[in-house]
Amino acid sequence: MGGDDLVLVIVVAVALAFDYTNGFHDTANVVATSISTRALPPRAAVTFAALLNFVGAFVSLEVAATVAKDVVEAGAITTTIIFAGLVGAIAWNLATWYFGLPSSSSHALIGGVVGATLVAVGASAVLGDGLVGKVIVPALVAPILAFVVAGLAISVAYRIVGRRRPGPVTNGFRLGQLASGGVLALAHGTNDAQKTMGVIMLALIANGTVDANAEVPLWVVVSAATAIALGTYSGGWRIIRTIGTRIHKMDSAQGFSAQGAGSVVILAATHFGYPLSTTHVISGGVIGAGAAKRLSAVRWGIAGNMVVAWVLTLPAAGAMGGVVYGLTRLFGTGAVGPVVVTLAIVVLVTAALIRRMRSLGVAREGRPATEIS
Amino acid sequence: MGPGPMAAIVDWGALLDVVLVSLVGGVGLTALFSIAVASAISFVDFRREGRPVEAGAFVAVALIAVVGCVAALVYGIGVMVSG
Repeated sequence: MGGDDLVLVIVVAVALAFDYTNGFHDTANVVATSISTRALPPRAAVTFAALLNFVGAFVSLEVAATVAKDVVEAGAITTTIIFAGLVGAIAWNLATWYFGLPSSSSHALIGGVVGATLVAVGASAVLGDGLVGKVIVPALVAPILAFVVAGLAISVAYRIVGRRRPGPVTNGFRLGQLASGGVLALAHGTNDAQKTMGVIMLALIANGTVDANAEVPLWVVVSAATAIALGTYSGGWRIIRTIGTRIHKMDSAQGFSAQGAGSVVILAATHFGYPLSTTHVISGGVIGAGAAKRLSAVRWGIAGNMVVAWVLTLPAAGAMGGVVYGLTRLFGTGAVGPVVVTLAIVVLVTAALIRRMRSLGVAREGRPATEIS
Repeated sequence: MGPGPMAAIVDWGALLDVVLVSLVGGVGLTALFSIAVASAISFVDFRREGRPVEAGAFVAVALIAVVGCVAALVYGIGVMVSG
C-alpha cells in the first residue's frame, strides 16, 4: 500500500467516524419531538430512528452527487485536503455537542472541506456557484420554510380538532408521531448519510480510484448507512433535551406538525440534491409549531443561540479545516501528516474519555448509592 | 452580486418546487391526519350514544383520511426512489 492509498484509507475511516458523530449529534433532530410528547420512550425512539436512518441512506444519491461534484473542484482536491476538512468538521461537531447546541453537521462538513481547500489550493478550487446555489441559499430557505409549514400545519390541525376532547386528540397524534417520526428518520438518513458518501466519493476521485463520473460504489452506501445508524443509536442526550423541552413544551399535535414539516422539506430538497441541514429544518419546524400556538411559548433566547450556532458553523468549521490542513502540511505532503494528526486525535479523545470517566467516578463516590441511576 | 448572477447560480424553479411540495405536503398531511383523529373521536362518541349511522359515516371518513396519508407518503417516497 502506497502513501496515497494509506491517506485514502484514513480519509474513509475518518469520514465514517464523521458519519457516526453526525448520527450521534443529529439523533435529537429525529427523536426529540417524539420523546418530548411521550409518543415513544427514549430508547425505543432512538432504536426506531437508527433503523430508519439505515434504510433512508439507500433511497437517493442526488445529495452525494452535489457534495462530490458541485462544492469544490474534484480535480484540484487531494485526499489530505478532504482529511483536513473532515477533522475540522468533527472538531466543530464535538464542540457544539459539548455545549448542547444543535448546529449543523452538514454545514460543518461542507465548511471544513471548503476551508481546507481555500488554504491548500485557493479560491479557484471552490465552486462558488454550487456553494451558493446548492448549499447557502437552500440553507437560508429551509428552516424558514419548515417554520412556516409547521406553523400553518398546526393552525389547521387546531381548527380541525380544537373542539374535541384533549385526551383522545393527544393519543391520536401520539400514534401519528410513530409515522411522522419514522418518516423524519428516513429523511434524515437519506439526506445526511449521502453527505458522507459524497465526501468518500470525492476522496476516491481525488485518489484516482474511480472516475469522476462513476456511480457511488455500493460499499460506500452500505458503510455510510451503517455508520450513521450506529451513531443515531448511540444518541445525543444533551441535544435531545435542548430540542425536546428547552425551546418550548410541545403537545403531540405540535410534535406531529413539526416532524411532518421537517420530513417533507428534507425529502423534497433531497430529491433536488440540496444537502440540507436536518438540524436547521427540524428546529425551524419545532419553533414554528410553538410560535403558531403562542409566541411567548417559545424560549427565544435558546432559539437565538441556535441561530448563532448556525451562522457560525460554515466559517468556524472552515477555519478549523484550514488549521488542520496547515498542521498536516507541517509534516510534508505525504501520509505522515494525516497519520500524525489521526494519532493526536486518538490520544486526545482517549484522554478526554478517561478524564470524563474519572470525574464520573469521583461523583459516584461522593453520592449515596440511591442517588446514582 | 446583482440579481442577474444570482438568478443564474440558483435554480429558483427547483427551489420553488421544494417550497410548493413542502407547503402542500406538510399542511395537507397534517390536515388529513387531523381529520382522521377528529373523525375517529366522533365515531367513538356516536357509537357510545347508540347512533350507528353517524358512527359509520365518521369511521369511513377516518379511514379515507388515513388511506390518503399513507398514499401521499408512499407516492412521495416512490418519487424519490425513482429518482
